[in-house]
Amino acid sequence: MKKVLIALTAFAGVCFTSCNSDDNDGGEIVINNPASYSFERDGVSTVNFGGQTTRIAMAEELVSALKDNTKTEEDLDGMFAHVEGESDFSEADLNASNKSIRSKTAASADFFSANTTDANAIKADFDGYIESQVADVFPNWAVTATAGNAGQLQEAGGGSIRYINAKGLELNQAFAKGLIGGLMVDQILNNYLSSSVLDAGDNRANNDGDVADKEGVSYTTMEHKWDEAYGYLYGAEDNAAVPVLGADSFLNKYLSRVEGDSDFAGIASTIFEAFKLGRAAIVAKDYDVRDKQVEIIRENISKVIGVRAAHYLQTGKTALGNDYAAAFHDLSEGFGFVYSLQFTRKPNTTEAYFSKTEVDAFVAQLMAGNGFWEVSSETLDAISDEIATEFGFTSAQAAD
Amino acid sequence: MIKKFFLVAVIFLFYTCSSSSDDSPEKKKEDSFDREAVLVNVADNIIIPALEDLSQKLVALKTNKDAFIATPDQTNLDALRSSWLSAYEVWQHVEMFNIGKAEEILYSFQMNIYPVSITDVEANIDSGSYDLTHVNNNDAVGFPAVDYLLYGVAADDAAILVKYEDVKYKNYLSDVVNQMDALTDEVINDWTTSYRDTFISSTSNTASSAYNKLVNDFIFYYEKGLRANKVGTPAGNFSANPLPDRVEAFYNNEVSKTLTLEALTAAENFFNGNAYNSSSTGESYVTHLKSLDNSALESLINTQFSGAREKINELENSFSNQINTDNTKMTQAYDALQLNVVSLKVDMLQAFNVSVDYVDADGD
Repeated sequence: MKKVLIALTAFAGVCFTSCNSDDNDGGEIVINNPASYSFERDGVSTVNFGGQTTRIAMAEELVSALKDNTKTEEDLDGMFAHVEGESDFSEADLNASNKSIRSKTAASADFFSANTTDANAIKADFDGYIESQVADVFPNWAVTATAGNAGQLQEAGGGSIRYINAKGLELNQAFAKGLIGGLMVDQILNNYLSSSVLDAGDNRANNDGDVADKEGVSYTTMEHKWDEAYGYLYGAEDNAAVPVLGADSFLNKYLSRVEGDSDFAGIASTIFEAFKLGRAAIVAKDYDVRDKQVEIIRENISKVIGVRAAHYLQTGKTALGNDYAAAFHDLSEGFGFVYSLQFTRKPNTTEAYFSKTEVDAFVAQLMAGNGFWEVSSETLDAISDEIATEFGFTSAQAAD
Repeated sequence: MIKKFFLVAVIFLFYTCSSSSDDSPEKKKEDSFDREAVLVNVADNIIIPALEDLSQKLVALKTNKDAFIATPDQTNLDALRSSWLSAYEVWQHVEMFNIGKAEEILYSFQMNIYPVSITDVEANIDSGSYDLTHVNNNDAVGFPAVDYLLYGVAADDAAILVKYEDVKYKNYLSDVVNQMDALTDEVINDWTTSYRDTFISSTSNTASSAYNKLVNDFIFYYEKGLRANKVGTPAGNFSANPLPDRVEAFYNNEVSKTLTLEALTAAENFFNGNAYNSSSTGESYVTHLKSLDNSALESLINTQFSGAREKINELENSFSNQINTDNTKMTQAYDALQLNVVSLKVDMLQAFNVSVDYVDADGD
């Protein structure tokens, strides 16, 4: 992976020139597109996304804690909706932080600022996963699960033990994979890359005039918003300027998985290059080029969610019948990615690839009756195919 | 990812090189090989005889188990242990054939998943109520469970015999052994009553044909059941540190080498089409490769089997002792086994034009 990115960025490290006819001065804007995601002003880095790195770290701890049956609902709620100074996490830095995951879940400007009803319903879904994990799954930690009864089930051949609710759903997976959409994708695509955020207030004028976001920082507000989008994808990287992927359990990891499927190889560099060029365009005050990159990022990050949703429905389908625990694990991951579809963004529109209503209908099909214990291959194929078709690939391409 | 990238690079290089010499176009020999002949030889001379031998050994195990339960003394324990080992050796010739009924009932998952879960075994014994076929018990049954029950339940033989004054231990031992025998009968019966004919006629080059599944089962077994489970995993090749308690037959702790050599013999015999019960040889992957004018690969694979055997022969009888004293020899054995993973999985399957039907688990 690393080698591929380096090779590609070597090609990209040339000056990108765009003829911009709209420009007032009628001149040519020269964008200096660097080889890595590193930008400086007067020798000082202008890149900052500490808040995103923090939230990814909080989410990692929460997702681990969801599999610790000694945790109380209060413990887990505290990690989800952290309050500055509370001892919710193992790391002091996280406890000291004023950031919270829950406040940024289903919280984008474009999708939810005027739709608090849906936002509340989505937050309630995540709260519900935590509540049910503690109330229904933890007490049955040592009980063998059966259709309609929560408990544990081991993957065939002495494999991993999966802890599932009465419908065969691993609530920790529903939470983790749902959060990829509800937090990372929504914040990137529908918040920080939105013109309503990038161009809010005097952002353009201030960016044109190189006015700092606030005292003591080297970046403009628009630059910072763009970097915050970047941070939700690359914020857990050791060196985020040159991402290697696989750095977290969320979007970063699953981008690397989709990149690893030869049917979609190249997507990682497409996304990285668009982030980098868009940021360089902001420095060059070329907002047309910036906005084109936004649409590339929207299309491709959305596709990551679509591919993984179809992928896990297909792999889960294959395992159903001979290895329920393995099947339920895949389907639970698929469930979370299906849930995440409502936070995707079709390029050049204000819509997700699948609306909340459509996603809720998928969820209802998956959870009908005894849920995964009795879901049919036909249902899984139908959902998988519908997703694949909408994104323009096939279930077979996503399956491997 | 790295592997795929490498593959792409190799293909690219190959393409670049080969396109420059367009005056000698590569002529691939058409594959008109009689695949059914291989399936007939494998079914009649390898799989069914091995299963029948295993069944006989398990009947002996049952008999010795019944005697031991009736009179749990040292003599009966020794006899029982000896019949366990005989059956375990034959099992090495059966495990790779995860096809037909064996695949349907996840036979190998109910016969040889190790490390055994002592927690599950002891919980089952304590409760006296269990479904041995339940997936949660895959690591609480089969040869590894019997290994624990006969060698690991207490510190020494005297203490082990004391354990079997408890009817709960007798019952569990008895149920596990009976289950192994019943499963084996189920698999044999399916072969001899109906599956053999289905099997030998399923020769098309599709993902679900017996020919393709069999070769995939063989390579999967070689890579996972033999190379990884018996050698690589305990040597620590897939973890931060060696895991000497992951060896096969850990509680016996003297036969992991015997079992591994037996498994290697089984793989070699299968590849070469050697009959289980006699010295005769029939149609096999060797003859298939020869029909494609690829004797070089056939002889390379056999040379590499011999190389792996040499390395394994250098190991102690107890792999866990070997790992604790000189793990380098273990990793050398692993490296020698690894050579044939590439030759079988890449080169041989390409020659047969068969696709790999399994992928490494995604690990999360």
